[in-house]
Amino acid sequence: MNAISTGRVFASPLARRIAAQRGLDIAQVTGSGPGGRVVKLDVENAIPPLPKAGEVSRPHPKEAGMTEGSLPAATAPAPKAAESAAAPGPDARLYFTKEAYTEIPHDSMRKSIAKRLTASKRDIPHYYLQIDCELDALMKLRADLNAKAPKDGPAAFKLSVNDFIVKACALALIRVPEVNSSWTETALLRHKHADVGVAVALDFGLITPIVAKAEGKGLADISREVKDLADRAKAKKLKPSEFEGGTFAISNLGMFGIKDFTAVINPPHAAILAVGAGEQRPVVKNGAVAQATIMTVRLSCDHRVFDGATGARWLQAFKGFIEDPLTMML
Amino acid sequence: MTQSFDTIVIGGGPGGYVAAIRCTQLGLKTAVIERENMGGICLNWGCIPTKALLRSSEIWHLLHRLKEFGFEADNPRFNFGAIIQRSRKVAAQLSNGVKFLMKKHKVTVIDGEAKFSAPGQLTVTHKGATAQATAKSIIIATGARARELPHLKADGTLIWTYREAMVAEALPKRLLVIGSGAIGIEFASFYRTLGSEVTVVEVMDRVLPVEDEEISQLAAKAFIKQGMTLMLGASVEALEPKGQTVSARIKLKDGKIENQEFDRAILAIGITGNTETLALDKAGIKTDRGHIVINEWCETGVPGHYAIGDVAGAPWLAHKAMHEGVLAAERIAGVKGLHPMDVSKIPGCTYCWPQVASVGLTEAKAKAAGHKVKVGRFPFIGNGKAIALGDSEGLVKTVFDADTGELLGAHMIGAEVTELIQGYGIARTLEATEADLMATIFPHPTLSEMMHEAVLDAYGKALHI
Repeated sequence: MNAISTGRVFASPLARRIAAQRGLDIAQVTGSGPGGRVVKLDVENAIPPLPKAGEVSRPHPKEAGMTEGSLPAATAPAPKAAESAAAPGPDARLYFTKEAYTEIPHDSMRKSIAKRLTASKRDIPHYYLQIDCELDALMKLRADLNAKAPKDGPAAFKLSVNDFIVKACALALIRVPEVNSSWTETALLRHKHADVGVAVALDFGLITPIVAKAEGKGLADISREVKDLADRAKAKKLKPSEFEGGTFAISNLGMFGIKDFTAVINPPHAAILAVGAGEQRPVVKNGAVAQATIMTVRLSCDHRVFDGATGARWLQAFKGFIEDPLTMML
Repeated sequence: MTQSFDTIVIGGGPGGYVAAIRCTQLGLKTAVIERENMGGICLNWGCIPTKALLRSSEIWHLLHRLKEFGFEADNPRFNFGAIIQRSRKVAAQLSNGVKFLMKKHKVTVIDGEAKFSAPGQLTVTHKGATAQATAKSIIIATGARARELPHLKADGTLIWTYREAMVAEALPKRLLVIGSGAIGIEFASFYRTLGSEVTVVEVMDRVLPVEDEEISQLAAKAFIKQGMTLMLGASVEALEPKGQTVSARIKLKDGKIENQEFDRAILAIGITGNTETLALDKAGIKTDRGHIVINEWCETGVPGHYAIGDVAGAPWLAHKAMHEGVLAAERIAGVKGLHPMDVSKIPGCTYCWPQVASVGLTEAKAKAAGHKVKVGRFPFIGNGKAIALGDSEGLVKTVFDADTGELLGAHMIGAEVTELIQGYGIARTLEATEADLMATIFPHPTLSEMMHEAVLDAYGKALHI
């Protein structure tokens, strides 16, 4: 499972502006310009939005056939795999008959995920740190706060465990700023704010909208913002500024019962937190077995940016906020 | 004997020879059939030799301003024959250059006139001998020639087309130019600068009618100041050679008829495609008013048969033909990701004095197309380089879509604007908005700074006016 913001899209300034004006996510538009660049015509053709992958939409011209220099042949050449996702082995089509599969051309999001995360896994020296957090105090505080929440109107909220995790991550990033950094070839960029991306699964891909300056936001605000971003992400209504960049990301698969997993860092982030399910587990306290709600989290770290002890300090800080959630209010 | 090719290009003008080069680059076995000179009208009888002529007239113009620049010379003169000769030398040099390019790119050049016997099959006639040639794809690039009307016909001695006008033996004293498009105005400008009394008759109510109205007005003002006579909204009803002069019956804007005598007349009332000798009906290719009908991919509707350039219709510009040539070649080779021809991205240049250049929509056309527009203007008089050059007359005008910031069009008149317009052409192709143009740093001191200012002015941000 990976968290991703779709990152750099090649598009003309005019195409970007028209897409923004019409609430269209440019990352969803297939480009027909040189090198697959998204041009005005593509944006105009993309309204209403393109069909979702799975419905076998029109193939992307760059993938489906010949490029300059090749000649028309009597039999069409087998489509090349997209450059971005060039497989390390032979074309997978060679192993199957045509009847045995449905071919789903890549949309720009699938290509972006493939390209960015392949580069991330290849170029970033990942290491992983895992820690268990007790959730009982947090669950109690959450229940208390939700009980006091107005049920209707603009002030209404319903806090999720994930909202607490966003806040705890933001505060931990401020406390251990080495983690809140970006790698560049010449320098580390130490970020002054915690812009926390929250991976949202879409039925056709994945996007990571960003809660900007999350360290300064209250739980109710974070909750409302995450809900709004997720809703608009699913409706493809996010502006590029709402999912490009960010300083850190969270990928939460707890709702699927996943206990523990490993996420791939999505640059410019230097780390990503994979969050598992909170579940009741036996724990040993003061020599006796007791029951507690435990959540396992695993931090994927970019070793170029910070080293093991720093990552460990960050997880300690995070665990401290989660297990004693009132300290988040300080 | 029958020769077979992947692609045959009929016509070796700028569209045809470029198409042929692109075809061989894409691995196609390609031939060009040319009945006259490689390079076509453009190199031999159009764009290039006229630029050589206009360069001479520009120098003549400057010689009259020597004092202004601190020089003194007594009695400057010109040799008209030498001016024409230089122009022919320039054309010959470039035509040889094209022959070299054909060799380099392994394009087979077949001399002769091509005629269809069936789709994909051609009979080539050369000096009485015939040969057959076949190809999977054929690109028709036979170009065009000056248009004549029943009452307006060239006789080659007193009534000229562009062809005679560029190899005149002597400077006519009184010259009538019929039509004020690029061809008419360039000759009007050339002959006026060298001293002919020039009268331009234009049926529309402004000169250079395809240009933005404001540019037309400024051009007219400059031409009148140079001593040209402009008869706008007027038409030549009859044209008769009379011994050594031409008599013209001109219907004025108000309906009055005026008879005038001229020494020579130039017909510049448009062009018509060279389609008659091709036997297009044998291939099933359709024409409409002298031009081959094509779609936006240069396809004629007969599979594998394309038409490009002047023979396929307006705008009649060599660079349009070249672009279409590349497009057709890539289409034939199955190159993916092509974009169809977009007329609004073709720049137009007229090398009169002052020069005129434009790309995209005029202000009026932009409004007619439903755009809410923002218009920017910057005059040459506000530009340091223009003043230093001694060319401080002119204007740069931009037309933006007010909602999206798209540069819809740009229109320029003044010194060297034909060399400047491509900046806006790139902006349009890359789909730059006003923000990108504003963020671009233009070098100082250059004429190009006016392009920046004209963008800034559209948004009320011009710095030097």
